[in-house]
Amino acid sequence: MKKITVYTLSTCPWCRKTKNFFTERNIPFSYIDYDMTDETTQRRISQELDAAGATGFPYVKINDEVIVGYQPERYSNALGL
Amino acid sequence: MSQCKVNIESRKKSLHYFFEKVVGPLGFKFTPDEEIMNFLLEQEVILEGRHGIPFCPCQPLRNDRVRDMQIVCPCIPFHRKHFDEIKRCWCGLFVHKDVLDPDKLPQLPPKELNHE
Amino acid sequence: MNEKFSKAIRADEIAAGGMKAVEIEGNEIVICNSDGKYYALQRRCGHMNAPLDMGTLDGIYLTCPMHCAQFDITNGEALSDPVPSDLGKEVPSPIIGEYLQTIGMIMKHVHTESISTYVTKLESGWVLIKL
Repeated sequence: MKKITVYTLSTCPWCRKTKNFFTERNIPFSYIDYDMTDETTQRRISQELDAAGATGFPYVKINDEVIVGYQPERYSNALGL
Repeated sequence: MSQCKVNIESRKKSLHYFFEKVVGPLGFKFTPDEEIMNFLLEQEVILEGRHGIPFCPCQPLRNDRVRDMQIVCPCIPFHRKHFDEIKRCWCGLFVHKDVLDPDKLPQLPPKELNHE
Repeated sequence: MNEKFSKAIRADEIAAGGMKAVEIEGNEIVICNSDGKYYALQRRCGHMNAPLDMGTLDGIYLTCPMHCAQFDITNGEALSDPVPSDLGKEVPSPIIGEYLQTIGMIMKHVHTESISTYVTKLESGWVLIKL
């Protein structure tokens, strides 16, 4: 079972679509809305984004694979769907 | 932050007016997908209410003034190469003038582009 | 019903896109020429009273010069709060810092109100307004 973590913004429609991608397929995942979380978590996520060279949301981690931007085909490939 | 009772539709209309004048000369226009356009403009009004500035609804605020100024909408000038290549801005509010089907424009980060 | 209109200014005194402040019977008013249409509004910003005629007019939108609150000149509606100031990473001296903190605390309670508008009409080259 692949571990899926998603960083999103409550104001971003593509983040909404990303979350829907997993819920519609009954795939469990965890997410953090960056703009709604505490400062410490925000800083941690900001650093992670910088390390990955990511400049925007959604930010999806499927095990070790990082996918930036709404890319449903890559989510499917990473999950072997 | 928002103290004046902002009428969301009025504010959206004024943002649309100002933004159109900025993005036109850069080769961009508002996305023809009216649903996404309305949703994103509304989020920007909300963000303006929260922070006093209409930031991009899809990029992170870093608590660093220099970095945060680079995501004030329209942020196209700060991401010109990236956005010109994917023919859209990150959140998709603006697309290249010749784009008729914005759904076909993938949301690719700079790392995944040809010139990288 | 006798509608009393007062002479405000000669229409050709304000070019398209321009504004001018006038005072009529004690009322401070700003007259805007937006693409040939004349609008009359309360001169004082609904935020902190700054003179709006010293701001900028773009289409039907007036931006206050003091803190950049924006108004729709067709109905006086306040469209935004002022833009927040940011010192960035610069640390103010203790006295200034304390002053800014106090001001900031009070400013949180300062609202940006919509402003009054006046009915206008053109007659014989004059902009008339109804007080």
